[in-house]
Amino acid sequence: MGEIGTTTSYVIQHDTESCIGCYACVVACMDQNDVEIEESPALWRQVYTLESKVGPQWRIQYFSLACLHCADAPCLLACPTGAINKSLTTGAVVVQSELCIGCRSCSMACPFGVPRFGKTGTMQKCHLCHVRVESGLQPACVRVCPTGALRFGNPNQLGFETGQRRASQLVEAANSANKAGSTAGI
Amino acid sequence: MADLESLIAAKIPGPRTGIEIRKSICTICDPTTQCGLDCYVKDGRIIKVEGSLEHPQNRGTLCAKGAAQRQWVYHKDRLLHPAKRVGPRGSGQMVPISWEEALSTIANNLVRLRDSYGPESIVFYCGYPKHPRPFLKRLAHQFGSPNFCTESSTCFTAMAMAWQLAFGDMAGPDLPRTKCLMIWTGNPAHARPLAARGIKEARDKGVILIVVDPRLSPTAALADLHLKLRPGTDGALALAMAHVIIEEGLYDLEFVARWTRGFEEFRAYAAQFSPPTAEGITGVPASLIAEAARLYATTKPAALMTSAAPVVQNTNGLQNQRAAVCLVALTGNFDVPGGNVVAPSAWLEVSGAGFITREHEFAQSRPWSDMAPRIGAERFPVWTELFDQAQSMALTRQLETDSPYPLRGLVAFGMNHRMWPEPSRLLRAMEKLEFIVDVDLFATDTSRYADIVLPASSSVERSELRAYPQKYVVFTQPAIPPLGDSRPDIDIIFSLAAQLGLDDPLLNPSESPYRSAVDSSCTETRPDGAPDCISAYEAALDWILAPSGLTIDELKKHPGGMFVPNPLPVEFRKYEKQGFGTPSGKAEFVSSVLEKYADRPGHDPLPVYREPALSPVSAPEEAARYPFILGTGTRLPMFIHSRTFRLSWTRCLRPAPAADLHPDDAARLGIASGDLIEISTSLGAIQVKANITSMACPGVVHMFHDYPEADVNSLISADYLDPVSGFPGYKALLCQVRKVSQA
Repeated sequence: MGEIGTTTSYVIQHDTESCIGCYACVVACMDQNDVEIEESPALWRQVYTLESKVGPQWRIQYFSLACLHCADAPCLLACPTGAINKSLTTGAVVVQSELCIGCRSCSMACPFGVPRFGKTGTMQKCHLCHVRVESGLQPACVRVCPTGALRFGNPNQLGFETGQRRASQLVEAANSANKAGSTAGI
Repeated sequence: MADLESLIAAKIPGPRTGIEIRKSICTICDPTTQCGLDCYVKDGRIIKVEGSLEHPQNRGTLCAKGAAQRQWVYHKDRLLHPAKRVGPRGSGQMVPISWEEALSTIANNLVRLRDSYGPESIVFYCGYPKHPRPFLKRLAHQFGSPNFCTESSTCFTAMAMAWQLAFGDMAGPDLPRTKCLMIWTGNPAHARPLAARGIKEARDKGVILIVVDPRLSPTAALADLHLKLRPGTDGALALAMAHVIIEEGLYDLEFVARWTRGFEEFRAYAAQFSPPTAEGITGVPASLIAEAARLYATTKPAALMTSAAPVVQNTNGLQNQRAAVCLVALTGNFDVPGGNVVAPSAWLEVSGAGFITREHEFAQSRPWSDMAPRIGAERFPVWTELFDQAQSMALTRQLETDSPYPLRGLVAFGMNHRMWPEPSRLLRAMEKLEFIVDVDLFATDTSRYADIVLPASSSVERSELRAYPQKYVVFTQPAIPPLGDSRPDIDIIFSLAAQLGLDDPLLNPSESPYRSAVDSSCTETRPDGAPDCISAYEAALDWILAPSGLTIDELKKHPGGMFVPNPLPVEFRKYEKQGFGTPSGKAEFVSSVLEKYADRPGHDPLPVYREPALSPVSAPEEAARYPFILGTGTRLPMFIHSRTFRLSWTRCLRPAPAADLHPDDAARLGIASGDLIEISTSLGAIQVKANITSMACPGVVHMFHDYPEADVNSLISADYLDPVSGFPGYKALLCQVRKVSQA
């Protein structure tokens, strides 16, 4: 991870292979941020159930999605009041609700449907738990996840770790094949 | 660095913000979970929760329900004062009263009923959570009533029964050491997410995973082999697997010859269940049945993971579960590393925690022979013989008939009448009860029928003792004081014991001739003036803990819990020294206990397969009108029975009562997700939304239970019970589905 104080971007990454669709992340976010949902559910993090068929076999996968904190955030560009900014310490895309006029330009601009609107009509969304991150804590969703499907960190570092896991799986598979007498390479 | 306002808004703990982390546990669900909870407390209020990192059970994680703890604790429907009924039963018209008036009214009525009808006329019931159970059971028996019962009348015990009939003991899967795990049946991904990681890790290590489940659950999706069977046909599948293992000589010859009873009869019976025959019954392809059988039998060691509900909540559930556990005997995987291991029970149904207690002696404070026969003793003698409770599924009929004796009082902790099939029939029968007390956190449909309602405190407002299979133990401290006038369930039990003047040194220390040694009482008071029974509770726990070497004083130094010092060593193959805890001393394919009752329907000494009482095969005329299989009660990750319906954070994840239907069935019936559908049986109908998902089993409607506005248990007969265990056949009966209107 980069040092606090430099312009680092952190991300919350979701591994759909490990996700069991338990919704703990959704609720932990609501608990951390006191998300109100009485009138119109404005869940900051959402878990989508995706069902597909591979030949005769059905497959169900879950995707947990909140804000992606884009490096070049369309919502930030679309906002007419400058209410949306990128944190210099964490790279989090954060909205200051006191500057928001509720015009919903950000909602139209965001390709992922992230912006949410509560009772006041101003925009609210995942802020990467950036104050927690600055205090050395993990985002609430990452912390709660029972299977570690949500991970937090520098995207290059996370990518490296994913590669490492896959590399070790590939090599193990090749080792078993070779032990069984196959001459197949990786 | 952020300013103080931002730090407080982000709930950063520490001296600067005044946010303190206090340790507790979550008891929203209560089958062996009780995740460690970090409560972020500011100005006496919990503002956030997190899983405790150091707690080996959940290792810093939580599920959707635990994460919604604050909505649970601070809900506007929390009962805050004792109340008495002023309107008709069911009206919910109550007025607040003092604890003094409540306790004396209860005691006077219980004594009056005891004098008129005998102490057995009072039923003592405990739902969730489970920690009051040993105390309520002791209270019941000290009062003279044998009738202590719990939701275990419908969950867990029948599974334990299958193990006990076969081996004399339950034996859990040794997951860290196994090479092949057969889950029959369970979905930890949604029922115990903290366990899902362990299964994934095992899978990643190369452990073979076989899952038997009608549904394509996230757990089944991980499996190497998924045996997707018609609900309620587990027995046929197990016998077919036994057939393959025996025919192909894959069974443990030595273990079977030396340590089992009835193998020849079992072999002859299993011969009737070839894989093609079983395919015809279960729908699982014959080749898959054979492959699973071979894998389980030849991978050494292999472990079977059974669970509390899916298999045994069928009208032939007990025998089906027995057939499955027989595979453990057949393959010699009993009490071996990596197989199914017997561990001594520690506390509250947790075994393998590394210590033992006097829980049983504490709770069973009077021998059964001293008291009248329990509810259900005549109808369910085997369940009664094996378990130290009354079978509450017999409650409805005993209330209706007054046979073998009348029941006239009910003291209930967390009772939900919708747990019983045909709930309205139970409510009508309960009109015979002259006095009903209900203790709960919230006003419920059931508490509307009580004469006195008492407010209970949640887990974060009380102290309790819990043990964990990771050899961990905790005696929690309250993170916040009890809300309003609510009290811990244990306090209520101790107060009742004192009010009743029970001559019991452990529940009513003021009466104790050993008082000077015990030095505890309920005469201390809390800051709000209410009596505080904590020292009596702690003294009782110390009595219970005596064989363990643990003390409450030591545990209080570790409010987040501690590892058990010097845990009891795990021994394997204990049967070689002491035999099996069955009448024959051997693992039994033919059950000695069931032989005693063999003339009763369903009590076959062999694990005989029978169709569910209402199935397309057993009831073809019914199936012509009701062609779908109705399965109820399958777990959803954000709900546990009715407990979290009222929390908006969990309710919003599935707002309307909805039934899962497979896409193939939906397409045939022209039903889309969100459409209103009607599910009907011969007993009635409910209307719910359709949720189309390939997780459902084709031909099956999966409906979650306990919705007051769409109570699926109202569609099940009160007598739709397994004849041996008394468990309702929640998981397989017949229904019809029709579309009512578009979404």
